[in-house]
Amino acid sequence: MPIIVEKLTHKYMPNTDNEFVAVQDISLTIDDGEFFGIIGHTGSGKSTFIQHLNGLMQPTSGSVTVDGFDMSDKKQRVRGRALVGMVFQYPDYQLFDSTVLDDVSFGPKNMGLDAEEARQRSLEAMRMVGLEPEHFAEKSPFELSGGEKRRAALAGIIAMRPKYLVLDEPMAGLDPSGRREILATIDSLREELKCTVIMVSHSMEDVARAAGRIAVMNDGRLYAVGTPDEIFSKTKELISMGLDAPQTARLAQELRERGFDVPQDIYTNERFVKWLRGRVKHA
Amino acid sequence: MISISNIEYSYDGALKKALDGVSLEIGEGEFVAIVGHNGSGKSTLAKMLNALLLPDKGSVSVFGMDTSDEEKTLDIRKKVGIVFQNPDNQIVTTVVEEDVGFGPENLGVPTEQIIERVHSALEAVGMLEYAKHAPHMLSGGQKQRIAIAGVLAIDPDVLVFDEATAMLDPLGRKAVIEIASRLNREKGKTVVMITQYMEEVTAADRVIVMSGGKIAMEGTPEQIFRKGDELRALRLDVPVMVELRDMLVREGLMKESNVLDVSQMAEVICPLLLKN
Amino acid sequence: MLKDITLGQYVPGDSTLHRLDPRVKILLMIAYIVAVFLVKRIEVFPIVIIFTVAVTLLSRVRLSYLAKALKPMKLLLPLMFLMNLFFIKTGELIFKWWIIEVYKDGLINAVFIVLRLATLVAGTSLLTLTTTPIALTDGIEKLLSPLKIIKFPAHELAMMMTIALRFIPTLVEEADKIMKAQLARGADFESGNVIKRAKAMIPILIPLFVNSFRRADELAMAMESRCYHGGEGRTKMRVYSFKTIDLIAVIVMALLIAAVVLLNKYMPAVW
Repeated sequence: MPIIVEKLTHKYMPNTDNEFVAVQDISLTIDDGEFFGIIGHTGSGKSTFIQHLNGLMQPTSGSVTVDGFDMSDKKQRVRGRALVGMVFQYPDYQLFDSTVLDDVSFGPKNMGLDAEEARQRSLEAMRMVGLEPEHFAEKSPFELSGGEKRRAALAGIIAMRPKYLVLDEPMAGLDPSGRREILATIDSLREELKCTVIMVSHSMEDVARAAGRIAVMNDGRLYAVGTPDEIFSKTKELISMGLDAPQTARLAQELRERGFDVPQDIYTNERFVKWLRGRVKHA
Repeated sequence: MISISNIEYSYDGALKKALDGVSLEIGEGEFVAIVGHNGSGKSTLAKMLNALLLPDKGSVSVFGMDTSDEEKTLDIRKKVGIVFQNPDNQIVTTVVEEDVGFGPENLGVPTEQIIERVHSALEAVGMLEYAKHAPHMLSGGQKQRIAIAGVLAIDPDVLVFDEATAMLDPLGRKAVIEIASRLNREKGKTVVMITQYMEEVTAADRVIVMSGGKIAMEGTPEQIFRKGDELRALRLDVPVMVELRDMLVREGLMKESNVLDVSQMAEVICPLLLKN
Repeated sequence: MLKDITLGQYVPGDSTLHRLDPRVKILLMIAYIVAVFLVKRIEVFPIVIIFTVAVTLLSRVRLSYLAKALKPMKLLLPLMFLMNLFFIKTGELIFKWWIIEVYKDGLINAVFIVLRLATLVAGTSLLTLTTTPIALTDGIEKLLSPLKIIKFPAHELAMMMTIALRFIPTLVEEADKIMKAQLARGADFESGNVIKRAKAMIPILIPLFVNSFRRADELAMAMESRCYHGGEGRTKMRVYSFKTIDLIAVIVMALLIAAVVLLNKYMPAVW
């Protein structure tokens, strides 16, 4: 069963002078097993939006349903939240315990699992994110490097075995290798756990490569939702919205503006090379 | 102008040296980029440039002043300003203009001059209209521009950006890079840009690649980006357009070239398309 | 949004009160407190009330803000009133019903104490309502600076206040984010007894502390990098000068105190 968002609106400080509409009239469905990307610049409402997916925020109007559980209802929210794992941008906001293993076990223990089960799940989660328990289990989370902290935070959520994994800027602040590794980890988690991944990212290259569908948010509204092909065919609009487009999409756009007929679905280097090869040979 | 000779540095309790025999000369008006993976020592190197850290071994000389000479610390910091990574943790006061004035206040600059300096610094980063705002209400990118203004108000000759774009979104990042290159071009400021984003170093005169506390590679962006495999081995990457260039060269679709960014690539592709 | 909380309670404006030198304003507030405490007889109180109302009008701060300042007192004031009303049993008995007895002195005292507290809170709030936090810290620093001779850290104190004011919204926002991150991991802050709830705070407090220490460290480095080396030889971007308007304010306050003292002595008794 999917996540269904219907006419979601969220206002901060409603009915005051400072009322601010962060998210307005968003309707979309995220299906099981999808890799769903969300892009939008700072202040576009994407953070507010994803916090509705596990009930950390409640809609001012509209509804969010996770596997049939209405997230506005206090009792149903508890069950819905258990399905949605949320990894925030900065691991420093969640790591607190004295060892990595204890920290990863925090979630499973809160779910009411007994100590041994929680431990098993945590060890498994650590292995999945590439933190070998032999080496990391007894380390303090505060001694870890930036990339390792990110993995520990991810493991803390994976250990709860969510059906939906929501990731807020999972690669921000990492070096290029760290970014590649985390993205590969997310991909393998999707394979192994068969979970739905919802990823917010600034990096268009990463979203273009990984996501099956992308939602573009602008000024609190859903500007567009569709496959990368559909979204990056609107490169011109994305740029005018102050969003980054993948560089190859920019190149294609630049060539179009110089009067060449570059197909709309070219936004990766691989596709560009293929197209250019065909184009040069045909002539 | 800045001369670093064979410095070593270890943090308290660390087993590995953060800097392990680094020597570097930075000339006046240069735009130098320093790249490296997390923990490569690049940020430690930045903090050596204005005596925030002092080397265990070797020496750092700034305009002829040795950074280990305590008498000269303030003079060195007047010459070399640093913009740090986290915009929140470098803004001191509750009003934007007051914060920009913090440096000149510390230096005992007379009040009328502080007001002038604050005005022109805010103008240089395009934040004049926010002079009376509270910093915590601004976006990350805007805060970082305030931090740059705060450094500019001291009027240093050298501006160091210590991963100043790492926590920003693409728009904020672009603004910081544009300001840095403009200050370099128009005001003749020496810029040292420390970053992990390879796209950000294409405009530099010289790129220094760090790894394991040492300088691993050094050269112009064109030279550095010809060594994609070497960069990847150092946990780095090449810009997307360089990757495309290499792919096209391998396919025999394009001759070897120095293409680094989108507009250069378009320039090379256009004649290809016209010919065929 | 939590970060929208206003600091102190400054209301932007350009009234006479806003334009007073903060140093003068702080001293005047102290004088005002003295004036309120100098009132010995209830008959004299109207003059303090008239003064407070007049100054409030002059500040052009909406009365609702003053009401807000009094809000924390909404339990204390009635309690004080009732305690004085029922427990002072001197003077003539003016009301009696069942076991409840109210004496004249009790009534007067009850009214007196409520008036004193209300005017104190209202009057002193006007200082924070019309002065920016930064002007306030500047004022405190300047007023305390003579104490530097006895090694009192006036500048350091003011710098600490400034930094605290600057980082309160940042920390509140951070606490909010940490709480959400832990909620997402199934943390429960709402159920259980006191001990259980206190324990539930640990996953919030530890990241908050760890992050704050790192912040403090980075901030110290950024400040040093910007040539900070203590208060010595420091100039100020904002300078305050004693203007005519400040002089007038001082005179008015002196008149209030004189009036209170004189009326205490010479005003004929009403009761």
